[in-house]
Amino acid sequence: MGGILTVFRREVGQYFASPVAYLIAFALLLITGLLFNTDLTYSMRVKPAEAALIPGFLSFALVFFAPLLTMRLLAEEKREGTLELLLTAPVPDSSIVFGKFLGAWFYYSLLLVLTFIYQFILLAIAQPDIGHAISAYLGIWLYGGASLAVGMLFSGLTENQIVAAFLGMTALMFLWLGDLAGQIVANLDLAYVLRQLSLQGHFSTSFAVGLLRAEDAAYFVGIIAVMLFITIRVVESHRWR
Amino acid sequence: MIEVENLTKHFGTHLAVDHVSFTAQPGEIVGLLGPNGAGKTTTMRMLTGFMPPSDGTARVAGFDVLADSLAVRQSVGYLPEHVPVYPDMTVYGYISFWARLRGVRNVRQHVDAALERVQLTDRRKMLVRHLSKGLTQRLGLAQALVHDPPVIILDEPTIGIDPQQVIEVRDTIRQLGENHTVLFSTHILSEAEQVCDRVVIIQQGRVVAQGAPATLRQQLQSGAHLYVEVRGANEAKIREILNPLRDIQAIEPQGNGFSLRVKPGKDLRAAVAERVMAAGVSLLELRPVAMTLEDIFLDIIKRN
Repeated sequence: MGGILTVFRREVGQYFASPVAYLIAFALLLITGLLFNTDLTYSMRVKPAEAALIPGFLSFALVFFAPLLTMRLLAEEKREGTLELLLTAPVPDSSIVFGKFLGAWFYYSLLLVLTFIYQFILLAIAQPDIGHAISAYLGIWLYGGASLAVGMLFSGLTENQIVAAFLGMTALMFLWLGDLAGQIVANLDLAYVLRQLSLQGHFSTSFAVGLLRAEDAAYFVGIIAVMLFITIRVVESHRWR
Repeated sequence: MIEVENLTKHFGTHLAVDHVSFTAQPGEIVGLLGPNGAGKTTTMRMLTGFMPPSDGTARVAGFDVLADSLAVRQSVGYLPEHVPVYPDMTVYGYISFWARLRGVRNVRQHVDAALERVQLTDRRKMLVRHLSKGLTQRLGLAQALVHDPPVIILDEPTIGIDPQQVIEVRDTIRQLGENHTVLFSTHILSEAEQVCDRVVIIQQGRVVAQGAPATLRQQLQSGAHLYVEVRGANEAKIREILNPLRDIQAIEPQGNGFSLRVKPGKDLRAAVAERVMAAGVSLLELRPVAMTLEDIFLDIIKRN
């Protein structure tokens, strides 16, 4: 436990010490700010404000954001040689992986909290659907955790951060596209399976429309668990080469 | 403190460490000596719990490296060859991270003591990325001893730093030997001789010799070497001048001068100087040459 906490604390500190993390936060707030502004303008006349606006955008943006947040996690440790020292510390390999993952998820959660500002603005000037928004935010929080876990796995597979980010984006793109593929495949059974496997398939028609289903939460938690398990094995494999 | 028995490591078909056995008593400084690629790092990595041995056993501080890996790792301070650093952390933050990860209770006190020991206290707020190579090496040492482990393992701690810092690092190792068991690797024989109580020599994954350094040096070194540089004589001439000295076993050109292999136990400096001067040749330089382990190995290989 102590090991997880120590690694977690270092990772979070590292995010605040690195310019990349601030750039990501800046870009995220800039884009979501513009989106919110546009949506607000429409909401004045045409339609009610979109409760899942920011989570909906993130469900696509995470394909690119998540690997940028995680590319450093293990690739840098390998390049600097600190992984060897971590693996000779008296903590299980899983503590290192858990600590790092939780650090990344925590930083992502902070970014998510920053976007709450739009909800507060809505609350001040209208009567937004709070339940719907909470559901969407809960969904995108889990969705983000799953994306970060995928990104971290690829960070563990290479020493090169750029390669890690690229592979992570590719993998997340496929997981994201599964939903679209599911919509155009003629075979209904296959379409169903594809959709169930995709990240979007467990978000766009459930969390994002204010529907909380255990199976969707289980899907994201499952992705996180499987990815962390493989990452632990990948880290462990450094002992054998 | 360290008991290694028939330790073996394969990488695929490559045999990196081949039935290595040695021990280190508490408070002993043991040098692992060998040319690059001899298996020193692999041996150390097995002792630090980084990688499991393919065969054989190793016990560190009474714990088996396979069965009690976590306890072994708790008892060992390890400095890999290239000091692993987090460039964006401060000196203090870096050391306290390792202290916490190794379960140190009184973090502040331990970190202060470790920084004091390697004289980095006044640089505690500096970013690691701004440290010079020598300071980084000291930072690595501080990291290895912050949790006050009974066993300290250092992989080539004096490589790539300037001579003044080499002396400092050697002094630190000697001091560490008072309270810790120290295992360190080097490929410089004279360094091992200065610092170690005992030396284990490894070549191609096998222990070729072990014992007190002075004894070993005599066993291994077939003869002393002299370097001589003159003006006004070519190789043939030098051979002619020095030929009557029976204790010289070989003369070889080296750089601008010549390397003379001399029978063990003989000091021929005066005799060589006299003969060169008597022949009317200017003597520019004459000095004994300390052999590195590589030289000795090359020597042995040449003779075989």
